[in-house]
Amino acid sequence: MTATTDAPAMEVGRDRRRKEDHRLITGRTRWTDNLSAPGMLHIAMVRSPVAHATIGSVNVKAAQEASGVIAVVTGEDLADEQGTLPNVWSITPEQKVPPHPSVAVDTVRFAGEIVAVVVARSAAQARDAIELVDVDYDDLPVVLDTRDALADGATILHPDLGTNESAHLVLDFQTEGAAGNVDAVIEAASKDGIVFEREYEQQRLIPAFMEPRSMLCDPTGEQIVLWSATQIPHVLRVLLALSLGISESKLRVVAPDVGGGFGGKLQVTPEEFITVLVARRLGKPCKYTETRSESLMAAHHGRAQHQKLTLAAKKDGTVTGLKVELEADMGAYLSLLGGGTPTLGAFMFNAIYKFDAYRFDLRTAFTNKAWTDAYRGAGRPEATFGIERLMDDFAHELGMDPLELREKNWIRHEEFPFTTVAGLEYDSGNYEAATARAKELFGYDELRAEQAERRDRKDPVQLGIGVSTYTEMCGLAPSRILGALSYAAGGWEHASVRMLPTGKVEVVTGSSAHGQGHETAWSQIAADALGVDFDDIEVLHGDTAVAPRGMDTYGSRSLVVGGMAVVAAAEKVVEKAKVIAAHMLEASPDDVEFAAGAFSVRGTDQAKTMAEVAFAAFAAHDLPDGVEPTLEGDATIDPNTFSYPHGTHLCATEVDTETGQVTIRKYVCVDDIGKVVNPLIVEGQVHGGVVQGIAQALFEEAVYDESGTLITGSFTDYLVPSAADLPTMVTDRTETPATTNPLGVKGVGEAGTIASTPAVVNAAVDALRPYGVDDITMPLSPHRVWRAIQDGADR
Amino acid sequence: MIPARFDYHAPTTLDEAVRLLAGAGDEAKVLAGGQSLLPVLRLRLAAPEVVVDLGRVDELRGVREDGDTLVIGAMTPHAEVAASDVVRRHARVLSEAAATVADPQVRHRGTIGGAIAHADPAGDMPAPVLALGGELVVVGPGGRRTVPADDFFEDLFTTALGDDEILAEVRIPSHQGWGGHYAKFTRVAQQWSIVAVAAAVRTEGGSIAEAKVALTNMGSTVVRATAVEQALVGAEPSDEVVRAAAAQAAEGTSPPSDINGDADFRRNLATVLTRRAVLAAAGS
Amino acid sequence: MELQHRFTVPASVDTTWELFNDLEQVAPCFPGASLTSTDGDDFAGTVKVKLGPISLQYNGTGSFVERDVDSHTARFEARGKDKRGNGTAKAAVRTVLTADGDGTAVEVTTDLAITGKPAQFGRGLMQDVSDKLLATFVGCLSDKLAASGQPAPASEPATEESRLEPASAEPSPQQPAGRRPAEKIDALDLGLTVLPVLARRFGPAALALAAVATLVWWLLRRR
Repeated sequence: MTATTDAPAMEVGRDRRRKEDHRLITGRTRWTDNLSAPGMLHIAMVRSPVAHATIGSVNVKAAQEASGVIAVVTGEDLADEQGTLPNVWSITPEQKVPPHPSVAVDTVRFAGEIVAVVVARSAAQARDAIELVDVDYDDLPVVLDTRDALADGATILHPDLGTNESAHLVLDFQTEGAAGNVDAVIEAASKDGIVFEREYEQQRLIPAFMEPRSMLCDPTGEQIVLWSATQIPHVLRVLLALSLGISESKLRVVAPDVGGGFGGKLQVTPEEFITVLVARRLGKPCKYTETRSESLMAAHHGRAQHQKLTLAAKKDGTVTGLKVELEADMGAYLSLLGGGTPTLGAFMFNAIYKFDAYRFDLRTAFTNKAWTDAYRGAGRPEATFGIERLMDDFAHELGMDPLELREKNWIRHEEFPFTTVAGLEYDSGNYEAATARAKELFGYDELRAEQAERRDRKDPVQLGIGVSTYTEMCGLAPSRILGALSYAAGGWEHASVRMLPTGKVEVVTGSSAHGQGHETAWSQIAADALGVDFDDIEVLHGDTAVAPRGMDTYGSRSLVVGGMAVVAAAEKVVEKAKVIAAHMLEASPDDVEFAAGAFSVRGTDQAKTMAEVAFAAFAAHDLPDGVEPTLEGDATIDPNTFSYPHGTHLCATEVDTETGQVTIRKYVCVDDIGKVVNPLIVEGQVHGGVVQGIAQALFEEAVYDESGTLITGSFTDYLVPSAADLPTMVTDRTETPATTNPLGVKGVGEAGTIASTPAVVNAAVDALRPYGVDDITMPLSPHRVWRAIQDGADR
Repeated sequence: MIPARFDYHAPTTLDEAVRLLAGAGDEAKVLAGGQSLLPVLRLRLAAPEVVVDLGRVDELRGVREDGDTLVIGAMTPHAEVAASDVVRRHARVLSEAAATVADPQVRHRGTIGGAIAHADPAGDMPAPVLALGGELVVVGPGGRRTVPADDFFEDLFTTALGDDEILAEVRIPSHQGWGGHYAKFTRVAQQWSIVAVAAAVRTEGGSIAEAKVALTNMGSTVVRATAVEQALVGAEPSDEVVRAAAAQAAEGTSPPSDINGDADFRRNLATVLTRRAVLAAAGS
Repeated sequence: MELQHRFTVPASVDTTWELFNDLEQVAPCFPGASLTSTDGDDFAGTVKVKLGPISLQYNGTGSFVERDVDSHTARFEARGKDKRGNGTAKAAVRTVLTADGDGTAVEVTTDLAITGKPAQFGRGLMQDVSDKLLATFVGCLSDKLAASGQPAPASEPATEESRLEPASAEPSPQQPAGRRPAEKIDALDLGLTVLPVLARRFGPAALALAAVATLVWWLLRRR
């Protein structure tokens, strides 16, 4: 049934092809770089090639005199107005936040930092002129790892802070009835149980969205308009206003079609600040579009953690305690969420298992590298990787099947709702069902048999099986919890559903799709709720003048929070329409039923369609007392809780021990994301998410050399896999509806990425256990795998 | 990314191209398929003042037989080389190698001549040409000359091509009846070879009569694995025998160390890929 | 990155030491390099790096930072910026001489740091490119020493400044760019470009022969 009627849902649950795809695929899109304004000028950035240096001098004379150049602006020129880029999450009250100018004034702290800005009549002229800016750098020692950054005597990136540590967060959890905190539990286990320790590496990744960042600022109207390829137009508007001292009502931000983000466009950037400041200064529209190499170097990176996990368990494998110690690399400056990203993982290391005690100990530190922030999963893939690697390693230690160990420790289906040691209440889930289905699709027993057989005959190509039984917390987020965590904003979402006089519908949403297909999914939801045709619904988003209220898109929140706002707004429309229809039908609203888009008097065949009611509300010739003209509903939803999709992913890899090449032989994922609005969209999210997780496991890493230069500066070296490198996945779903929202949905945008990385690494390590290998650092390049085999043989 | 300004010429004959190049002096570059040059220009790692585009010089394009010699025009795209039955018949390993270059888009623009003149140590074209004893026909203001492949690849990105010369043709003695295989090792499909091996094998009466093996990315230029070739004469094409011969594949090489692997790893790869390439060539 | 080169020359430690301390002899040996000014231990100049597709020009300065006659250790440092803003290059070069019979064993250790585009997009090739350039540098020094039984021309201060001209960018035909040191001292010019090629092909014998031939030619020309 739909949210508003008892009739079966016609749209929700249906495999609808996406409305937005036709324009996206045929190039009739409105990408930011396609936009143009009269008299528009072009910006190019002079970026530091060195990672850490004081700026001796910036000589702009030759550039100023170059053909077509209108202005060359340095950090000194902007010093009074550029303010500092904001951080909105104080993960501790003592968190140290260094000032972050958009254009460096006296020190550069990462290779790629902007040191001067050229504005010219054409993009080519701007590009030519940046070569003429002569900057003198006095090198400073370079710090490239958090371990070095936090060591005694380290070079301090921000001398005024006196340290490279930004924050140290310790969260200590224990369940009621626990014998004590995690130290006590570990102590007890060391006496008559098992204490198992592991260290893992989360390498630095680059979000590598397909559309490079682009922005155009037009200062010539009453409002300053900034078009930007961003995931967060609403957040950006507020923060631009606060940081640059522009009156918020004088600012309009528009996210046109945006070609992917993955968290990488969840940022308030120096480039955006500069574009606004420069446009305002010159009084002319100014556009900046980054090159791919600038994007890889300067758009924020993801992950980058050293992890140490200590597990306490009973001898039979029942886990009792977990201690997690993290060092997270923030890069040269604190980004918008900064330490908040690894902090989100705090609640996920305990995962689907029942621990008595758990401690999360996080230190965030600065290094001379690009800043880091959210990247698909934002803290949760890191956590899931840690715990799922740990469980597979622990299972091996015990000589137990890894699925058996999971089952021994997970929350049983009948135990939901379940409050975890980290204090989250998981509303629903069924790990048994997802796992059973996954095993079946995978052919688990047959593959294990084949593995044994290959081991017996010492086949040079070995087979490994990896498990990942994940859950994730998404649908960000209950505002009160964000407040408790000292995040500066809330987690609500807004929608307006507007019936137009001719019976068509506009759905205005505060979510900001950048590839997720909201226009389609929200149309499906509204179509069911209003009984209106899918094709008669237009979804408007991304422009603060059109969709003024919103908290944008990230954290797998849009369906769970934004979609539910659409539902609630549609309900209000139906409610008001019912009253008007009743009046039109000269009946009491209690006698009026709503089905299939029409209001009818019970027991008669008198009816009014939604379209007729909409027109009547517009004409307002005869409305009941107290009812205002026009037919529209507005709702803002603040979720009460997070939502908890889960799943079981099984991966079989073949490892060629002669070359170290790892190939995925079979990949099965069974995900439970609650109710499904559009299976096609879900498939797309699962595929894309899993692929990004596989990419972390096998292919991608942002590598810096000893001078602090990003040597994976192009796609020649930063290896994003293509379809040619990836397996065909087998996907399926179980459906345990969420109990915490009317549609029972849970969110799926990041789940695939969260689940897949440990499944792949576990599989490769599993294949090589007989070779003395118990861990390989990601990405599992053939070289690293081969080296691990050689080293294992030496042991 | 936008390249720096340059003067552009698109001659329609080889003579015109040679004249333009000679007149332009040191700051000129020849544009073939552009798959190596254009990224360099866009990244502004070079800023030649003059670019001479050979794309309209039709006489440089095409595959033909000249008696016992396979002749491939320098401007023939990799896709055409890979699809050609003539190439497949006379130089199987070259056909295979051309099919592995990057991805379809690159293969339809990139050319055999451009790749050879560029002499990237990780490029796939030099190895089959060297293995099969090919010759490069070079045209300059002084006329035409032929350089054996053995003498053509001098050093990192350095060939016997003078600054005012154009590579016009690749000539390969027919290896009809020989088996051939190009074993290429990469992490992702469109990547430069981490290591690759070109093997051409002639079998007689069930044994390997002769083998020609060349290695990609095991040094600053392509190299012949002569120790392996000698060890394979008269060898049984079995895993064990070929394995023993292939163990010498890395002799005399100086493989690079980079983020895709260190020298040890590459040496190991060379032996493994040599074995696999030779066995495949012997079986094919 | 750290690069090591070793070679032996048939010259005495003292002669070799003199050469290594003479900026005007040493600096132009770097392929594509030319000095624009010298001032005691300091120098300024440009280095044109042309290898394959890449063509960059670094402008910079350098100086001798250490000379220890007793241990025959010399160190000089240089840093430059690419003129189109493509990045910086820093080199710290240490040479140590030890007597080896009648000759001298020379060990050159170079600490090279390259930032910016060549490192970002180089596919890791900067190591090989640097190695090749360094090898040519070292080869040129070696040739100079091999060719000089007598003190090198550089020890005549009066004519020294006039010999320093900006590098001509055009190599002579048939000479691949990057192998040719920029200094226009004619006799050594020819030898220095030919010698490395000969040495690669025909080995030390040819090197010695060519060195002798060059020396004889130089001596004849000076008459």
